[in-house]
Amino acid sequence: MSILTLQHVSKSFGSKHVLRDLNLTVPTGSIYGFVGENGAGKTTTMKLILGLDRADSGDIEVAGEQVRFGETATNRQTGYLPDVPAFYGYMTATEYLRMCGQLTGLRGTALASRVTAMLKRVGLASASHRIGGFSRGMRQRLGIAQALLTMPKLLICDEPTSALDPQGRTEFLDLLASLRGQTTILFSTHILSDVERICDHVGILHQGRLQVSASLADLKQQYAKPQVRLTFETAVQAKQAATLLMPLQHHNHVQQVTQSAGEVAVAYAGIYAAAADRILTALLAVRLVPLTFSQEEANLDQIFMEVVQ
Amino acid sequence: MTAAVIFTKKEWLESWRTHRFLILTVVFLIFGILSPLMAKLLPALLKGGLGGVKIAVPTPTSLDSWTQYYKNMTQMGIYVFALMLGGYVSQEIQQGTLVNLVTKGLPRWSVIIGKAFVGLLLWFWCVGSAFVMTWAYTAYYFPDTRSPHVVLAFVPLVIFGFFFLSVLVLGSILASNNYGGLLFTVVVVALLYMARMVKGWQHFNPISLISDNMKILVGADALTKLWPAMVTAVVLALGLFWAAIKVLDQKKL
Repeated sequence: MSILTLQHVSKSFGSKHVLRDLNLTVPTGSIYGFVGENGAGKTTTMKLILGLDRADSGDIEVAGEQVRFGETATNRQTGYLPDVPAFYGYMTATEYLRMCGQLTGLRGTALASRVTAMLKRVGLASASHRIGGFSRGMRQRLGIAQALLTMPKLLICDEPTSALDPQGRTEFLDLLASLRGQTTILFSTHILSDVERICDHVGILHQGRLQVSASLADLKQQYAKPQVRLTFETAVQAKQAATLLMPLQHHNHVQQVTQSAGEVAVAYAGIYAAAADRILTALLAVRLVPLTFSQEEANLDQIFMEVVQ
Repeated sequence: MTAAVIFTKKEWLESWRTHRFLILTVVFLIFGILSPLMAKLLPALLKGGLGGVKIAVPTPTSLDSWTQYYKNMTQMGIYVFALMLGGYVSQEIQQGTLVNLVTKGLPRWSVIIGKAFVGLLLWFWCVGSAFVMTWAYTAYYFPDTRSPHVVLAFVPLVIFGFFFLSVLVLGSILASNNYGGLLFTVVVVALLYMARMVKGWQHFNPISLISDNMKILVGADALTKLWPAMVTAVVLALGLFWAAIKVLDQKKL
């Protein structure tokens, strides 16, 4: 069961094709990491899902209901946190949330208790001054409060962590992770470590198309190759080592050899011990001794690089 | 409709807390006080300025006071108003403040309705408070009977404000920045002034609503001649607000 589906969605700005025949499915209950470099079309995709911009072609459905440009009823199901949430600086956080709540039809004590609970949840319960004096982190937290105010089925966050400091980022990711099971989250970012921390599904957007979309575990299994990383005292030594290991590529467990400065990375397949044996034997035969020799599991960065290449 | 009420409340709070209301009130009250005062002091100032050269300066009357009022309202007041409301809609689109509200279910038309309503209240308050001020001081300085139709002369100015506001709002949506909206308004007003040269159109031209006030002040008949211009202004204003809604409907937020 999926809460959000995009089928054959295209969008251009002038001669620039931002999205080309984009297909995207977000499973209900998932935290979906929507990954892509800057300018890949992540924000455009989100604006289309919210009916804030018009797609050139294709269909978008939220919870089985078609999204229309302009006033779309599907927005009842969604909460949206823009990349830079804009508020009215002359209001207080409580006033702002009250206004948002009223727009969604909340009234009376239900509204008051929801607003208080939300402010408490995002840590703004004691912020009584106007939003104009809020820090970036406080604005982001108010942004998530307004997005969650209606307890949406689908929460859409556009690069929510890119402007936050490390502590703010951790707090924000913890908050998102705490929503697991309550709401589906579509979370765009170019910070891959954030995705690895909280997402269970990943889609990589590149050149206007979704290049891959799978669960994080499947993706790692499918794409990533574990590797051995060696560092040498000098770049000359590293180059020598790389030249020596190159002929082993594509057989004898060794898959790919790459070198940069004093480092050599060797992607391998199969058992680590066998691959390490091959590498060390080759190096020691010419008395080339690395400073460090370590095994690394695959990470999303490698997968991303591989997909977008 | 509830959404429109919520947005109108927000608009009102904005005018209040960003001091737009305060600044406009102070400026228009100054205009209101200054108009009769200038009429009263001008002869004395003229005499003083000429350094003893004797000229015949007619004694000022209530008509001079009202002439000053309409001059201040139409040559300065409306532009101060336009400056304060120049980025009325463009700012919301530029800064993205509408995104959160629209995704919460705020219909886009209610943005225009809310802004038009509060803008109109502001206009009425501004010209109205200046009017009351001028009226009171005129009665005090010039207790004559030369200006019998004070209220009737004021009516076209209020109606022109409605039309002017609709131009301002549409301009603010069409332009991508604050000054584009102002430029649009100034160009429209300039074109209307030029259109006054076409004789047959004069009675229909909304600009007559701020040009013929003094005629109405002395003779109520002049107001009946302005009916076509008043109807044109209101119909045009409604059309422009409708166009503003349509343009906003198509805008990417």
